[in-house]
Amino acid sequence: MKHNKLHDFLLVFPGYLIYTVFMIVPLGMTMFYSFTNWDGISKKFKMIGFKNFVRLFSDAQFYNALKVTLIITVITVLIYNVLGVFLAVALNRKNRVCAFTKSAVFVPTVLSSVVVAFIWSYIMQTDGGVINTLLALVGIAPVNFYKTPLDTIVMISVIISWNGLGLFLVIYVATLNTIPPELMEAAEVDGANGFQRFFRITLPLMMPGITINSILSIAGGLKQYDHVKVITGGGPGGATQTITLMSVEKAFEYNRRGYSSAIILVLFVLIVIVSAVQLSITKRREVKY
Amino acid sequence: MSMKEKRMIKAWLRGFFTVLFGLIYLFPLYIAVVNSFKPYTEIVKSPLTLTLHPTFENFAEAFRSSNIVSLYGTSILITFSSVAMLVLISSTAAYVIIRRNNGICKFLYAFALIGIMVPPVVTLVPSIKMLSMLHLMYKPSGLLMFYGGAYFSTTIFLYTGFINSIPESLDESAYIDGANTITIFFRIIFPLLKPCTATAIILMGMWIWNDFLNPLYILGSTAGRTITTGIYNAIGAYTSKWNLVFANVILASLPIVILYLCMQKQFMNGLTAGAVKG
Repeated sequence: MKHNKLHDFLLVFPGYLIYTVFMIVPLGMTMFYSFTNWDGISKKFKMIGFKNFVRLFSDAQFYNALKVTLIITVITVLIYNVLGVFLAVALNRKNRVCAFTKSAVFVPTVLSSVVVAFIWSYIMQTDGGVINTLLALVGIAPVNFYKTPLDTIVMISVIISWNGLGLFLVIYVATLNTIPPELMEAAEVDGANGFQRFFRITLPLMMPGITINSILSIAGGLKQYDHVKVITGGGPGGATQTITLMSVEKAFEYNRRGYSSAIILVLFVLIVIVSAVQLSITKRREVKY
Repeated sequence: MSMKEKRMIKAWLRGFFTVLFGLIYLFPLYIAVVNSFKPYTEIVKSPLTLTLHPTFENFAEAFRSSNIVSLYGTSILITFSSVAMLVLISSTAAYVIIRRNNGICKFLYAFALIGIMVPPVVTLVPSIKMLSMLHLMYKPSGLLMFYGGAYFSTTIFLYTGFINSIPESLDESAYIDGANTITIFFRIIFPLLKPCTATAIILMGMWIWNDFLNPLYILGSTAGRTITTGIYNAIGAYTSKWNLVFANVILASLPIVILYLCMQKQFMNGLTAGAVKG
């Protein structure tokens, strides 16, 4: 086959042009700004070397944001993947009951994070919230979900998980359907019990799904912005601020674009490292049959 | 009790708890729906129950204050055009990259994957500068370009994986019949990419429709708001008037939930068809 070079060019060029101008160049600019003291407005700025990063690693606000981000990531990743696998296995039957519950879990996925955050901030209110009204019915004293920043972060993590679980469930159900039923039958004939079948057959064969889902959930947790922004705005006093929230605040409210770029760059490096480690762990465990 | 009876009871219990779990999962939505029909004073008194005297006043008020129709217009315009553009630019590029297995294409493939780990927020600040230099700031077309750059890597990754599984003999026989590259792609290959395109449309559609941070800063308020930023703005104005909050929440979500319920099968299959290979 002889290929028309012009046609090849026409098919490839538009995508790469947009990608270069609106991804690669801005990525380079973020890296560049992180070494400057640019305020986002003035034309003049200075190269200040690693000063932003030095300041960052002695900034208590940054360490708190890092802690908050990691707590949210750990909780959401655990819920998405442990509850996700459990539900996929439990609901993987062809009947109306399972179909209903699968759809029920997926509905919140199509809702916007802003909407979800508003509904839940009403439910979790200390005075007159739904949870506390329910607790009062069975005679339990009201719970303050905003008592400490940690309580608030845990609550927000659960809300995020409620919002996103459906996507992970659907991917796990699809992976489960790629496992040939003969394998299960053979194991059953050989006398393997439910637990053995799950840990020796189902789980190893679900590894491709686990790989996709852990990547999606880790990246999603680390860049969390929406729910925290609506529920607490990062407060009180920045105590529930995530890295993304802190970076956006520094860029647009304090006009410290250089410092903001350094913060967001650290987040990017964190995502790359965690994903690479995670990939090397789960990829190794993917099995062929 | 016989074995058969025991098994039946077990099946019933399993079904009961499955439905119970589903209902509990939907409980927050039930709260939003029932309270959107109550006046404020009734929400405070009894937040859990259905109301005996439903009122539509909340919806009327929400409709008046948040300009919901124009919010939908902006969201539909941005989501539709961004997804269509991403499907077009990444499927065409992926096709050439996979089929011409030469040095340039190998480089282009690796180059495209740089962005896959970059969350859009990492490039937000410089993109705003870039967009203002190109006079695209505070315009839907600017947000469209931003999404094109932000999600190109993800969609090209989906398409390259899928095109790999389509036999090249199809291209060859069309070539012998005299078709050129562009014709071969749009007439023969693109229709075969349907499962992958469905995945791309649903995944990108959901991300872009629900995006909050990027339209907040790139569109601002002058070019019209999307559903997410518009609702955030509208509700921010009356924080604890929960009756109005819930009416807004329902207006913003009902169409998308109905769309999902009508196309449930396509949604579920589409999400996974191009991503999880059997």
